[in-house]
Amino acid sequence: MEVDALALSLAYQLGTNAAFLFLAAVGLIIILGMMNIINLAHGELMMIGAYIATITHHAGLPFPLAVVASFFGVAFFGAILELTIVRRFYGRELGALVVTWGISLILGQGTFLVFGPFMPAIKIPGGSSSYGSFSYSHYWLVLIAISIALIFVLYWIYRHTSYGLQARATMQNAKMANALGVPTARVYTLTFSLGAGLAGLSGALLAPTSTIAPFMGQQFVAPAFITVVVGGATNVISGAVGSSLILSAVKTPIGMALGAFSGTVALLVAALIIIRIMPNGISFTIQKYLDRRRNKKA
Amino acid sequence: MTNKFFQLIGGDADIGSSKLFWIGFVIVVVLFCLYPTQVSEFRASNVAYYLLNIPLGLGIALLWGYCGVLSFGHVAYFGIAGYTYGIIAGNMAGNAYGPMVGVLGGLVASIIVAGVFAYFVFYARVREWIIPILTLVLTLILETFLGQTAGYQWRVGSVLLGGYNGMTGIPAFQIGSFVFMGYSFYYFCLIIVLACYVGLRMLLNSNFGQVVIAIREDPLRTEMLGYDIRARQWLVFVLSAVLASVSGLLYVQWGQYITPSQVGLYAAALPIIWAAVGGRTSLLAVVIATIVLNWVTYTLSSQGNQAAMVIIGTALVVTMLFFPRGIVIMVAEWLGQISNRNKPVDKVSAHE
Repeated sequence: MEVDALALSLAYQLGTNAAFLFLAAVGLIIILGMMNIINLAHGELMMIGAYIATITHHAGLPFPLAVVASFFGVAFFGAILELTIVRRFYGRELGALVVTWGISLILGQGTFLVFGPFMPAIKIPGGSSSYGSFSYSHYWLVLIAISIALIFVLYWIYRHTSYGLQARATMQNAKMANALGVPTARVYTLTFSLGAGLAGLSGALLAPTSTIAPFMGQQFVAPAFITVVVGGATNVISGAVGSSLILSAVKTPIGMALGAFSGTVALLVAALIIIRIMPNGISFTIQKYLDRRRNKKA
Repeated sequence: MTNKFFQLIGGDADIGSSKLFWIGFVIVVVLFCLYPTQVSEFRASNVAYYLLNIPLGLGIALLWGYCGVLSFGHVAYFGIAGYTYGIIAGNMAGNAYGPMVGVLGGLVASIIVAGVFAYFVFYARVREWIIPILTLVLTLILETFLGQTAGYQWRVGSVLLGGYNGMTGIPAFQIGSFVFMGYSFYYFCLIIVLACYVGLRMLLNSNFGQVVIAIREDPLRTEMLGYDIRARQWLVFVLSAVLASVSGLLYVQWGQYITPSQVGLYAAALPIIWAAVGGRTSLLAVVIATIVLNWVTYTLSSQGNQAAMVIIGTALVVTMLFFPRGIVIMVAEWLGQISNRNKPVDKVSAHE
């Protein structure tokens, strides 16, 4: 393989791995960062997203619209979950972990009972091109672009909409925000719904790249949670972006040299070492650095 | 000396310290001893399976209920001990000491993995939600690893790891030339379970146990009182991993096989469910829940009922919503109020 093809291939692998980690983790990290709730049913929400996309796509809907349908479908489902179950567990982190795990068991096995062991696959949209001996799939390039677009959309939502302002106020101090008239209960419902919707969106986007089965959520669980643990909950966007980039930089070379499984093990080892150095995650370290710089200026 | 023993065993770290309770306890133990004389070897073997899961449940109760640290991945130590036993005892097949060495090796392997893992999480003082996530990831990675070990290149000595089909033909436990099978294995399990329960109860009533409970109630305060909480959390984590390993060892000696699904997501859920449904702040409640829920799962799945996981998951969600402290504990307190003798002793703090 020529040097430039190898460099391109490495960059492409880095990009796809980072995009995968970001997509797998983004819904989870939003719910954690804003609400301090770890949603262990995250993998199953992604699975539901993939199912909605598969069913609507095979019913004749174009794939992009099927993805949008997944976002809204799972967001709606997430809102129901929040209103009925999750809201009883605010402030009880471990209780929330356990109850969302119960939900994930019900969803996984329930889907198995209703839809059977697997669904017809979705063909990967778009073709592939090659440059020298390096070939790449268009779809993954689109996924990388979508990930970058998502970062900007989330940034815009949190910085420039009234929901974003209220959500940030609630995150800083829920009681104070409520006293000042922020409807915190509704902010929580919306946030959980947004996080769930993003899980559904990611599930739908990643559906063509994986087998679609009731327990497909499990394959996203390990990478998604490692990304979140490394990212931390101080700042949602910098946490998700920073940690998916770092972890991709760890996973890509090891995965290419030793195989996919070693790449996953490397993720866990990297996570253990990173939290040993930065127990509050990358986003906390970034935030501290930014604060210090701001204070110096002032 | 005996006085001290009774103080430790009868203390208030678990529900039930009245005379009536202990009479009932002894009666139940005697009934368990008599059970095999009334039923077939097959039935006794089924009940032995319910019993052998108890140390795993006790490990979760110790870690989550008494120390306030949640682990979703203790089945990893169950699996590590089981596989290590299989490898060692399988390679020493025919040697009367093989199973003993296997047990030792299994425990040591678990202690090493748990010790290294716990060092990273406790000495980093990570936030409390991170530990369950990392334990879960560890067990999922272990399952993936074991799942891809099919074929002859994955052979340790003369034992095949076997991929998703698992490891088969694992030797039963034996002391000298006496092999524990059927009825004798039932009694073997019963003795180990009793020893685990009584030993843990004594440990939790000791000074060490009181500090562990104090860590659950308020880690910062405990630390300010001069206790090294990291070392104690580390020790409790390793101890609970040892309990999980005991279950793993008994499991492979019982069924003589083990598959990667034993360390999978659904297997990992089960001990959490036993502890949550029974009531994690009581050893006895977890013991009762482990037996009952294992019986329910076994009965459901042996009837070919695929909804078993849905039912168990629903039980978990309903318990967490409506009986957050556990069903058995609530029943026990209700009984205590009736007899007005057992006061509820174990208060779960509101923030768990």
